[in-house]
Amino acid sequence: MLYLQLVADGVVTGCAIGLVSVSFAYFYATTGIFHVAHAGIYTLCGYVAWYLTGIGVPFPLALLASIACGALVGAGIQATLYRQLDKKGASPLVKLIASIGVLTTLQNVVAILFTPNIVQFDLPWRLARVTIGGLAFSVPQVLVLVFSVVLFAGIVAFSKYTTLGKRIRAVASNPALAEITHLHPQKVFIYVIAIASGLVAVPGVLIGVDQALQPYTSLIILLTAVIAMIAGGIGSLGGAFIMSIVLAVVQSLSVAFVSGRWSVAVVFGIFVVFILIRPEGLFRHKFNRAI
Amino acid sequence: MTLEARGLVAGYGDKSILDKVSFTLKDGEILAFFGHNGAGKSTTLKAVLGLLPAQEGEILLDGERIEKLSVSARLKRGLRLLPEGRGVFPDLSVEDSIEIVARSNRDPNGNKISGDDVYELLPVLKDRRKIVAGEMSGGQQQMLAFGLALLGSPKCVLLEEPSVGLQPDLVEELFAKMSDICKQLSISAILIEHKIVSAMKIADQVMIINSGKLVFNGTKTEAEQIDLWNYF
Repeated sequence: MLYLQLVADGVVTGCAIGLVSVSFAYFYATTGIFHVAHAGIYTLCGYVAWYLTGIGVPFPLALLASIACGALVGAGIQATLYRQLDKKGASPLVKLIASIGVLTTLQNVVAILFTPNIVQFDLPWRLARVTIGGLAFSVPQVLVLVFSVVLFAGIVAFSKYTTLGKRIRAVASNPALAEITHLHPQKVFIYVIAIASGLVAVPGVLIGVDQALQPYTSLIILLTAVIAMIAGGIGSLGGAFIMSIVLAVVQSLSVAFVSGRWSVAVVFGIFVVFILIRPEGLFRHKFNRAI
Repeated sequence: MTLEARGLVAGYGDKSILDKVSFTLKDGEILAFFGHNGAGKSTTLKAVLGLLPAQEGEILLDGERIEKLSVSARLKRGLRLLPEGRGVFPDLSVEDSIEIVARSNRDPNGNKISGDDVYELLPVLKDRRKIVAGEMSGGQQQMLAFGLALLGSPKCVLLEEPSVGLQPDLVEELFAKMSDICKQLSISAILIEHKIVSAMKIADQVMIINSGKLVFNGTKTEAEQIDLWNYF
């Protein structure tokens, strides 16, 4: 039963990381920008929801507000930073460094505006537990599970069936042609980052409710998400989501065998071996962007 | 439609490739544009569409100067480019590609060519609506690329080496199809091509560029009376 519970906990954590990974991959596959500032938006959104619930705003409204905040901040980063860098012909490395700058700024803005200390949501249902088939989950864990699966299915359906989703895939697959067929790639980039940033607000808030918030810890979550994206096959949203769950389950199970502080090392070690065996990732996907 | 370039100078950064290029293209005409690699053919097309700035000279579309306009504004006025090599969205199906490009090039005054028209003009695409573009043959991909360039209300299509990677018999077939459609719909075209014999079959005018300078600009009949190779 212990192992089953560890697997269940891993699946929940994996679903949350899966949303981070899928949203990061969606933006990266479309723009080719290694947007590490995504981790800063994740943190900011958690704190926005924490602040709003603290002043009495109902949790669902606080969650919606943080999603809107994430989308706006993301769109702002694209419009004011990445777009300008594109115009100046900046290389992917320059954009990565700029993104690291935004991440650091966002983390410090959060620490200044709110607090640099660890904080927890003051929500009475936060510690309530439910039992499903003998496995115990906290209410925030159930929310993570439900939201992650629904939002993942939603983004896949959006990408496949809506006009904007198809337009985003067109820009991702041939940006030069998109420019000369009037698809306005720069506008599409703003839509994509807004969607990705709105999505990452959800795990940013729900993991914060389940565990706690701290301004400087989101980078390790993003790192795991990026590993999942690469292991899943860059450009494959399904691959990113599945590998996030696999890696989180492995990390969760590893604590039964090694000390908890080594669990991250176990995950990274497995990733290195996996990528040596299958460098294209779990799902083969032709990807032409500069990495 | 008349597309005209007068003393066009363009290049990359501070470096000029074109040396005062001038030409006129009339409604429904096909202009075959020849020259060795690096002579300035693609640079000319890019400057006409606005992907490269005109350093000097004028570009006129139906008498309106367009050399300062954005790419988007030139597309709205009916200029289209079929780029060399990758003129399709490899991850999208034929149907999805046509749907989104048709939507983004919709002419508020009424489309000259809709998605349905493209299927009528290029039946090979109709049979492959659900196929992902990247999985089609080179010839079919070029048909799709041409179809995408036609959507909306095109006046002039700039064709950049559409025969690259195609078998010789497919080249003749593709060019014949392109010529038929251009004549039928009064769309003019500039055709950059290395397969000179095939291109000459559908050309109305011929232009040869050498080291950025136009060295021949005449009708097809005039071109047939000279030895073109002397100009390369």
